Amino acid sequence: MQEFTTDHISQQFNKELEALRQHFLTMGGVVENQVQDALQALLESNGELAEKVKAQDKIVNELDGLIDDECNRILAIRQPAASDLRMIVSISKAVGELERMGDEAKKVARMALSLIEEGESPRGYVEIDRIGQMVSRMVHDTLDAYARLDIEAAIKVAEKDRRVDQEYEASMRSLVTYMMEDPRSISRVMNVIWVLRSLERIADHARHTCQHLIFMVKGVNVRHVSASDLSNMITKKD
Amino acid sequence: MSEEKTHSIDISAMQRSQQALRIEDETVCLSVKDLHLYYGEKEALKGVDMVIPEKKVTAFIGPSGCGKSTLLRCFNRMNDLVDSCRITGEINLHDSNIYAKGTDVAELRRRVGMVFQKPNPFPKSIYENVAYGLRIQGINKKRVIDETVEWALRSAALWDEVKDRLHESALGMSGGQQQRLVIARTVAVKPEVLLLDEPASALDPISTLKIEELIHELKKDFTIAIVTHNMQQAARVSDYTAFMYMGDLIEFGDTNSLFTNPSKQQTEDYITGRYG
Repeated sequence: MQEFTTDHISQQFNKELEALRQHFLTMGGVVENQVQDALQALLESNGELAEKVKAQDKIVNELDGLIDDECNRILAIRQPAASDLRMIVSISKAVGELERMGDEAKKVARMALSLIEEGESPRGYVEIDRIGQMVSRMVHDTLDAYARLDIEAAIKVAEKDRRVDQEYEASMRSLVTYMMEDPRSISRVMNVIWVLRSLERIADHARHTCQHLIFMVKGVNVRHVSASDLSNMITKKD
Repeated sequence: MSEEKTHSIDISAMQRSQQALRIEDETVCLSVKDLHLYYGEKEALKGVDMVIPEKKVTAFIGPSGCGKSTLLRCFNRMNDLVDSCRITGEINLHDSNIYAKGTDVAELRRRVGMVFQKPNPFPKSIYENVAYGLRIQGINKKRVIDETVEWALRSAALWDEVKDRLHESALGMSGGQQQRLVIARTVAVKPEVLLLDEPASALDPISTLKIEELIHELKKDFTIAIVTHNMQQAARVSDYTAFMYMGDLIEFGDTNSLFTNPSKQQTEDYITGRYG
């Protein structure tokens, strides 16, 4: 993203854009940790870690407000155009996605805490482990793509979201079967489903974030384009 | 590992850059108290009270005829040159009233320099333009003048462009360069305050941005007051903004707050292009 924040005649403007970029990536780092920690807390029944994830939400919210203010101020005062304008608009939207990823991570952490309270053993969370790893990777790759303005990486993340959706549906089917076979397991399986639902949402937000990145770099709006058409559409623009 | 990362995030430091400046925290350079100004019967300023903070940029915006240029010209008594002009109230530069009897107006204008809309270099060489103020002050040592000319041209971000043709006529420069030359000439006599009256309105967009960047650099050493018709320019360059309308100071405050959330409806209407 650095090339977006240099070369203006106004050094002050460069500094403002660079600060915005840094704050965005910082917020991304916090959210990425939240997602990883929430999963770890759940899988290892680590209550302390789950509490930490919840506490980090405050930092995410503060950064969200801060970046919002920065975007508003730059729009009001600099009247950015072209790539500058796209950067501000893109970050302003992507920040909302990050914030919601953080919220979902917090939900997973809460679920971990209630499972620990009920004395549930973490066994049987295979689905969560598998999908969780995919999703954490997606969040990581999304932020990496943002930092390096890497469109190809962004497209890959968007494509991966489809695989997460497929995994989610498959797990859902097997979990429903499981509940039918053994009604005593319903309350435990429901908790697993809530967690999977949150993970699936995080993957969606990661895909949206990548779409905002594509808009920022290429100037094409790909928000309602399916992952399979995405790379065609981008290459056509070149 | 992740814990360390989180702890090293200093949000309050990030927020500091976004916080509104507070005029109470500033050192006062110029203070205006109940200033009324009349051109004949017409009251052009209707009791203005404000302060200009030191080493900050204060911008004046408002529609034509609102009194912003008039107010700016009061700061170095340029209105004395208008016959029918009458002033009541006071303006203090640091602690002395500049309208007090016995004020040395020539010295005041050295301390409070002014740059106008149209670049007005003298028909002399680039070097002599900048050295002019020093020569008038009786400084003749070549070494001192050389050093000051270079310093002033560097301050005005012009040195690199003109260092090889210092003794050519200033009139051969582009408009943007001429305007920066005039700024160099003004800063050469080391004023405390720079008054800029529409300094970039006769320039192309890139020269305008250069002047704006220059203003940002100059505020490290000088207190700057700028009048501009271009609201976006005011937003970009200034720390504080004053909105004037029909001779009244309507709103004065931190630029970021004024342009994102003004407290007066009149200001809101003006900066959003609804009247004025």
